[in-house]
Amino acid sequence: MIKPNVKEWQDVIPAAELEQKWVTRVQIGRRLLAIYDTPTGVYASLALCNHGGADLTDGYFDGHVIECPLHQGAFDVRDGKAVCSPAIRQMQTFDTRVVGGIVQVLI
Amino acid sequence: MAEAIVTPLTQALAEGKLTRDELKSFMLRSNMPALRRLLIWIALLAATTYLITLTKGLWLVWPAMFIHGVILVHHFSLQHECVHYTVFRTRWLNDLVGNICGFIIMLPNRHFRYEHCDHHTYTQLRGHDPELVPMPKSWAGYLFYLTAIPYWKTKFNELFRHVKGQLSEEEIRFIPKSEHRTIFWEARIMAGGYLAVILAMVVTGWWGLVWYWFLPLILSEPVMRFIRMTEHVGRPQVKQMSDNTRTNLVSLPWRFLCWNMNYHAEHHYVSSVPFHALPRLHKKLKDHIYINKSGYMGAHVDIMRQLSTKTEPAFAKNKS
Repeated sequence: MIKPNVKEWQDVIPAAELEQKWVTRVQIGRRLLAIYDTPTGVYASLALCNHGGADLTDGYFDGHVIECPLHQGAFDVRDGKAVCSPAIRQMQTFDTRVVGGIVQVLI
Repeated sequence: MAEAIVTPLTQALAEGKLTRDELKSFMLRSNMPALRRLLIWIALLAATTYLITLTKGLWLVWPAMFIHGVILVHHFSLQHECVHYTVFRTRWLNDLVGNICGFIIMLPNRHFRYEHCDHHTYTQLRGHDPELVPMPKSWAGYLFYLTAIPYWKTKFNELFRHVKGQLSEEEIRFIPKSEHRTIFWEARIMAGGYLAVILAMVVTGWWGLVWYWFLPLILSEPVMRFIRMTEHVGRPQVKQMSDNTRTNLVSLPWRFLCWNMNYHAEHHYVSSVPFHALPRLHKKLKDHIYINKSGYMGAHVDIMRQLSTKTEPAFAKNKS
């Protein structure tokens, strides 16, 4: 039987283990995620840049903007909106919450 | 979902050449180092402008314009940093300063950004790297490149092409379709700006900008061509960043003018690192890159040696 595509909250990392005011890489199954510690809470996105495939978690992070380490294309991690070329497409973000000190992602 | 690629940075982290904490500390941005440097920059420009004023009517005006031009052509280095968003922490300041530099040296900022992205993706790969300066085939070719005539020809052709709303096949590859109109309007605004400047000189009868801007730029562009050749020309045309790029150890005045871009291999390893942190990154990576210790001239000696002996370039382990 084919499993229905239902999203579930998944534990990804204890909040205390996040890199403070920076981006942390986590692997959930086959997915590589970037978890962002920002002034307004924790956000999550796919870790690979949708422009050139570089790992965003090796990039520069400031406030709510993650910058790709290869071309400095940039995204707002709150909604995934591309804020700097050559990134032009919105990146995939995920709803995120912290429950009992654990970062959870709706995936 | 995007396919993961291996960048020089991911490789450096995986091989332990750089730790994640070091990377973070190198990447940190600030407005202050650039603002301090810009103050000195503007003071230097004012001094060389005054030098031209002092020497007007004398033969000395030509060396004065050349010296002024050497600073003018180095707006390329500042613009280059700006297209990487590493000069200022405040992102829009990079766009503003990058566009001003681009207007000074006729290098449209947005177009340069897209072109430069592909340069970083395909460094030194013939047919893919849009900024690749080929190894000259002859002494005549070498000297002709250094006149900057082929450079200006390319740049004027580019500008006119974009004003007309056209792109070359190569540009279509690296500029996304949604950005074509931006590139055309950028060129039109830039060309309009130059026309306005020329018209203003005609109307006022004051032709000072020819002496303070246009002539110095043309006189000194060969210096920038000379410097740009030292970055990759004569290095192997391979993917390996440790081999395809040359770091040149140069004196303080040149480092100041080029915004530390002489640490070119380090810049290609981690292009998110601002100019002021490149000397620290150099200390960390110096055993893993190709370094020429004899200044820009040393790089040209290497190029000339290859040109005269028709030999292949040395790889990183044989660094000079």
